[in-house]
Amino acid sequence: MTEPAVHLDNLAKVYRVYEREAGLGAAVRSLVRRKSHDVRAVDGISFDVAPGEIVGFLGPNGAGKTTTLKMLSGLLHPTSGEVCVLGYEPYRRQREFLRNIALVMGQRNQLLWDIPAVDSFELNRVIYRLSRQQYQEMLDELVALLELEELIYKPVRNLSLGERMKCEIAGALLHRPRVLFLDEPTIGLDVTMQRRIRRFVGEYNRRYEATVLLTSHYMADVVALCERVVVIHHGRLLFDGALDALVERFAAHKTIVVDLPDGVRNGRAFAAYGEVLEERPGQVTLRVPKANAARVTGQLLADIDVLDLTIQDPPIEEVIETVFTQPDS
Amino acid sequence: MRQILRIAYTFLRLGALNELEYRANFFIQSFQALLGLLVSLGGLQIVFNHTADLGGWQPAELLALVGVYQIVGGLINTVINPSMQRFMEDVRKGTLDFALTKPADAQLLVSVREFRIWRVADIFLGIAVLVVALVRLGERVGWQQASLFGLALLCGAAIVYSFWLILATFSFWFVRVENILVIFQSMYQAGRWPVGIYPQWLRITLTFIVPVAFAVTVPAEGLVGRLDLPALAQALGLAAALLLVSRFFWRFGLRAYSGASA
Amino acid sequence: MRAIYQAFYRTSLAVQMQYRVAAIIWLLGTVLQPVIFLVVWSTVARAEGGSVGGYTVAGFAAYYITMMVVDHLTFDWHMWEYDYRVREGLLSPLLLKPVHPIHGDIADNLAYKSLTMLVVIPAAILLTLFFRPSFEAPLWAVLAFVPAIILAFLLRFLSAWTLAMASFWTTRIQALNQTFFVAELFFAGQIAPLDLLPAPLQLVANLLPFRWGLAYPVELFLGRLTPREAITGLAAQLIWLAITLVILRLVWRAGLRRYSAFGA
Repeated sequence: MTEPAVHLDNLAKVYRVYEREAGLGAAVRSLVRRKSHDVRAVDGISFDVAPGEIVGFLGPNGAGKTTTLKMLSGLLHPTSGEVCVLGYEPYRRQREFLRNIALVMGQRNQLLWDIPAVDSFELNRVIYRLSRQQYQEMLDELVALLELEELIYKPVRNLSLGERMKCEIAGALLHRPRVLFLDEPTIGLDVTMQRRIRRFVGEYNRRYEATVLLTSHYMADVVALCERVVVIHHGRLLFDGALDALVERFAAHKTIVVDLPDGVRNGRAFAAYGEVLEERPGQVTLRVPKANAARVTGQLLADIDVLDLTIQDPPIEEVIETVFTQPDS
Repeated sequence: MRQILRIAYTFLRLGALNELEYRANFFIQSFQALLGLLVSLGGLQIVFNHTADLGGWQPAELLALVGVYQIVGGLINTVINPSMQRFMEDVRKGTLDFALTKPADAQLLVSVREFRIWRVADIFLGIAVLVVALVRLGERVGWQQASLFGLALLCGAAIVYSFWLILATFSFWFVRVENILVIFQSMYQAGRWPVGIYPQWLRITLTFIVPVAFAVTVPAEGLVGRLDLPALAQALGLAAALLLVSRFFWRFGLRAYSGASA
Repeated sequence: MRAIYQAFYRTSLAVQMQYRVAAIIWLLGTVLQPVIFLVVWSTVARAEGGSVGGYTVAGFAAYYITMMVVDHLTFDWHMWEYDYRVREGLLSPLLLKPVHPIHGDIADNLAYKSLTMLVVIPAAILLTLFFRPSFEAPLWAVLAFVPAIILAFLLRFLSAWTLAMASFWTTRIQALNQTFFVAELFFAGQIAPLDLLPAPLQLVANLLPFRWGLAYPVELFLGRLTPREAITGLAAQLIWLAITLVILRLVWRAGLRRYSAFGA
């Protein structure tokens, strides 16, 4: 069995937050004695990622996704637990480790602002000790894949947000990292750009068998790229597995779409079968609890002259929302 | 006129309330003011270890100069500097609308926009120094000197304000001019010493190009009895002229900004 | 490593060129401050019969013009830079690179000063023509000046860099920085040549590192030091350099731990 590229064991990150009320008196008091409480940003997460896998992190804001990524890239020191990436302990920030990873954070710049991106690339070439040939090959590929032709010669401050993001990603991948951490890479970008970046990440993963850990708000990113999803909420791992299995486990409802012939009965009658989501001439959409889906379907088929009937899973966004609004268990 | 005063008061009060939220700033600002004073007084002390008079100025007179330097510096940093910086930032970001859509004079609104109340620590320290100097000068300072001082100080304030306004107005056309205000800050350092000791080219620069002399040396001269009426007349004349010129330039710039043809 | 410095230097040069107007405006202050003190002390000297504390009018001119150039070659601004970097989250990308951020900062210095020397040297020449300083130093002193100024730069840079680490603990660095600058003003020989300070202050100046970063190379260049004093000075520079390096490493490690504990 091959070594996992990423290994977490009971990883935790706890912040001590100091409270202080307003006012001069409280300020003086706080010099002597400080009230504090602990925030468990990451509360004992364990999982392994095999080399070449693409894993999606899902979770609402403040769930601990970005904190986890920062611990994996060495920016944050874990409070407890084990973390191991490519055999290194990330927080030791050894040169060999840093040369093999990349962290891209949406809307955060690593490229220098006032000069063309290609100049920052050249600087990276030297810092990562790439030969001219390696560098040129990779640059040509990245330029082709991301359609960067003239963009890299313009000062970064003159680029639009999407163009800048593409250049940031290119800059982060010049040294062909084996592990790629992407934190909200498509945030703030328009739909076309999102799609292009998704395609690119998939292509990079295929060509170089790079391990990719991706967090995103956009379900479309995860659906397009990740076979495996890890759901984090309140710092804990809620789910680790295939996306379909996630829907299967957490979807509490099913959606039934009924196509009706002309001369349909009014919608109020349908309310007896389940929650009416939508009603149009010739079609009614119902939402029913998963357990009742089969029975209601049978009833509908028996009671009504149905043209066609489909049973669907609810949209993934809804499923995720349900997951997140679950109380702490 | 009452309207103008009322608006100014409102803004200043709001600015003060805003800053009062950050009480720690008071101690930090006072500390920094003390440091600045240390530099002025320390330099003065070291100089007078070696001589009894600097370019004709006695120790007590120079102490008064330092006091005026502190006070005027504090005045500039409480209102003029922050407001002008804020104005230039608003132009750059395009958020100047508040001044253009309110039923009050835009120049007034822009000039009192920001009020860094904790900088008054500078002013209080300056007053303290001035009081010590006045005590040491004794009977030499009477009503005549006090009124000359007051008048010269008002002229100096008007001149400095107009100067800043003119510089800031350039930002209607040139976007990256924030650094231009740094010119004044650098040259103001020269105001710690009487402008008369500097070589002519520097003296002229500090009088007519960057008006440090009128801000600090001239009022101090008035206070210690070294100011003659022709010089005072010059100050008055320059103040009036600059107020008019800056107002005119401001209106010109504002019209250009809001798209009206000049 | 040399390749890395070259790359950093080239990139920094390109970035600095974008800010040349601002740089020139800041240079005004750089040139003006020594001139102010030059004039003040020259006035004192003239009033006291031509010289004060071993400095003639021409001597003061030489002192302050040299001080201007040496100060500009050895100063560092990164305490402001790190405040900016920590506040704007620009430090994390730097920490992800397999090279210590200090190297980029040194290269920034080299690039900036390469450009600004194009203005400072002509300014020094102009001031020389106007104020008529007297330069009379033995050859060995001028030669010894070269290692002295390099060490002075390292000393001032590393001290400033250590000070910059305060950004890891607080965003209110202005008061701290200002305290440092004021101390430098007095004890590095800027407000007055150290020989003119009252005795107790001279004693303090000898105990602090500031004089070795500024006053010492200036005095050396002007030929005001005996060979013995020159060597003692060099030793002092080295000792303070060593001390600063030790403190820097401790503070950097502590700062990094704090940064990675509290959120990168």
